[in-house]
Amino acid sequence: MEKSIIVENLAYRYGDLLAVDHINFDVKAGKILGFLGPNGAGKTTTVKMLTGQLRPYAGKATLLGYDVTKDTNKVQSQIGVCFEQTNLYEQMSAIENLKLFAALFGVNNFDGYALLERVGLAGREKDKVSGYSKGMKQRLMIARSLVNRPQIIFMDEPTSGLDPVSSEAIDNIILEERDRGATIFLTTHDMWEADKLCDRVAFMNQGKIEALDSPRNLKQQYGKRSLIAEISSNGDAIVKKEIDMDSPNTATEVEKLLTNEKVITLHSEEATLEDIFIKVTGRRLTE
Amino acid sequence: MNSRIIKALLKKDVSLFLSNRFYFLITIVGLILYIAIYFLMPSEVNEELNLAVYENENTGVFSQITGEEGINIEYFSDKEVLRQAVMDGDYHVGISLPDNIIAIWQAGEKPDITLYYSSSTPTEIRDAMVALISEIAYIQTGQSINYNISQEVLGTDMAGAQLSLRERMRPLLAVVILLMEILTLASLISVEIEQGTARALFVTPMRTSDLFMAKGILGVGLAMAQAILFLLLANGFDHQPLIILTTLLLGSMLVVGIGFLLASLSRDVMAVTGWGMLIFIILLIPGFGNVMPGLLSDWAKVIPSYFLTDTISRVVNYGAGWSDVGINLAILAGLTAVVIFAGMAALRRRYQ
Repeated sequence: MEKSIIVENLAYRYGDLLAVDHINFDVKAGKILGFLGPNGAGKTTTVKMLTGQLRPYAGKATLLGYDVTKDTNKVQSQIGVCFEQTNLYEQMSAIENLKLFAALFGVNNFDGYALLERVGLAGREKDKVSGYSKGMKQRLMIARSLVNRPQIIFMDEPTSGLDPVSSEAIDNIILEERDRGATIFLTTHDMWEADKLCDRVAFMNQGKIEALDSPRNLKQQYGKRSLIAEISSNGDAIVKKEIDMDSPNTATEVEKLLTNEKVITLHSEEATLEDIFIKVTGRRLTE
Repeated sequence: MNSRIIKALLKKDVSLFLSNRFYFLITIVGLILYIAIYFLMPSEVNEELNLAVYENENTGVFSQITGEEGINIEYFSDKEVLRQAVMDGDYHVGISLPDNIIAIWQAGEKPDITLYYSSSTPTEIRDAMVALISEIAYIQTGQSINYNISQEVLGTDMAGAQLSLRERMRPLLAVVILLMEILTLASLISVEIEQGTARALFVTPMRTSDLFMAKGILGVGLAMAQAILFLLLANGFDHQPLIILTTLLLGSMLVVGIGFLLASLSRDVMAVTGWGMLIFIILLIPGFGNVMPGLLSDWAKVIPSYFLTDTISRVVNYGAGWSDVGINLAILAGLTAVVIFAGMAALRRRYQ
């Protein structure tokens, strides 16, 4: 499978601050890469370099075979970007917003109504965007990033602050695009979203990529699986007991628990990406 | 540059301009207001001649023109008071006769007569006054050129500026209409930066040059269309319409450059308004020079709008031709190029 994104030794400096510190990674076509990290980790700067908004201080980024710095226009004609902050023309209607960007990309026979229907905005196409709810605006942002049927889509916190229904709708669109063959570069704070959607996740901290692998592999490498039992003891008191599932004595301990104790509930528990992020970087994702 | 992209951006900007009530209202209301101001100004010149005469004795020299229609004569017994009255603009001309003028003439000598003009006294009146003195002297003595005359303009000389207030206002109002578009253009750009929509444009195949071209066409189009409409209504195309069109085109491009600079300086629309008003007032100063001749001196030439205002004034009010305003236009073109390139460089940095 071809690599859509190849990043080699990429760095960016704001004055004395090395915001992105010589990072390396690649993303295969049709895969979703989650870019996780707290505020100030360097995620947005990386996206800006990959989308041609910033010229790298050092290193090279190749998208779809084109050097972003040298062939910026060729790259930009084949990518879609969904920004974290809503940046739509609010005095224009949804369909006018999409038609503007379709014209900028040179899309022929553009069907904006079909795209708006796909993101759940059918019937509101001609309404001014200023009257839209946050969720509707975010859906329109997604639609705008898909106007040119991009081969790579950059999504920066696409579900941030949305209700569960809107979030799920957007997650479904991301998966549909992945199934179409698009490569998705997903920047997020939401570990659950990353876990659910991403083929691989990169942990970024202080400008460096601290870990990069599939969520499953990261959990296996850094996480701990356990059983949590709630036990009734001495009347009404309930105590919790944790059994390590990867220990050689797991079977014996589970048997002992079920034989000797009055077990009220029994659950398996695995490390979350947040736990692993803390373990790897020493910081929380939401710092 | 890509014409398809420029067309799309232009369509978007026109749509935003028309859908924004504030921009739309200040443009339409402003245009109507300036046209109304022009037509409310008096269109006729006051043809009355006010004379101040200093004489130490009642000579009766001016008795033959006293009471003639359009000539008002006031006598002064203090020469300094007369000078001050003329300088204040209360009189067009002050005439100072020497003591014993009749005796001097009777002795066959030439009396020294001094004429004082206010700064706005037209050349025609000055010439007429010399002729009048000559005529009076001839009546008194039967001889010609029997006097010594000295002339003094009190204040700055504005000979030949006998224009109605309406005509004097015309270049100023045309420039005001052009300059208003600085605020409109800078606000449109600033809103795009503030709301992040510009960022969305920059991740498409659009180049910065496409964006500058689209904004430039919008700014020049809006500014020029309004100024042309105003000057058409105000008879501004009666002389040398091609020079006026060239001047308005250069002026509109200057406005675009200043709009780019203003947008790059301002963090938000409030800052655009604040800085914009300051720039607006400074750029209007040369226009006031047309309304009040003598107000400005050479220092006004450092203001970029001077050559714009001056060219419009000279062509519209005095019928100047290419050879008269060629240097003005060359300087205006040079200034416009400098301001546009500076504006694009500053705005490019702001976008980044």
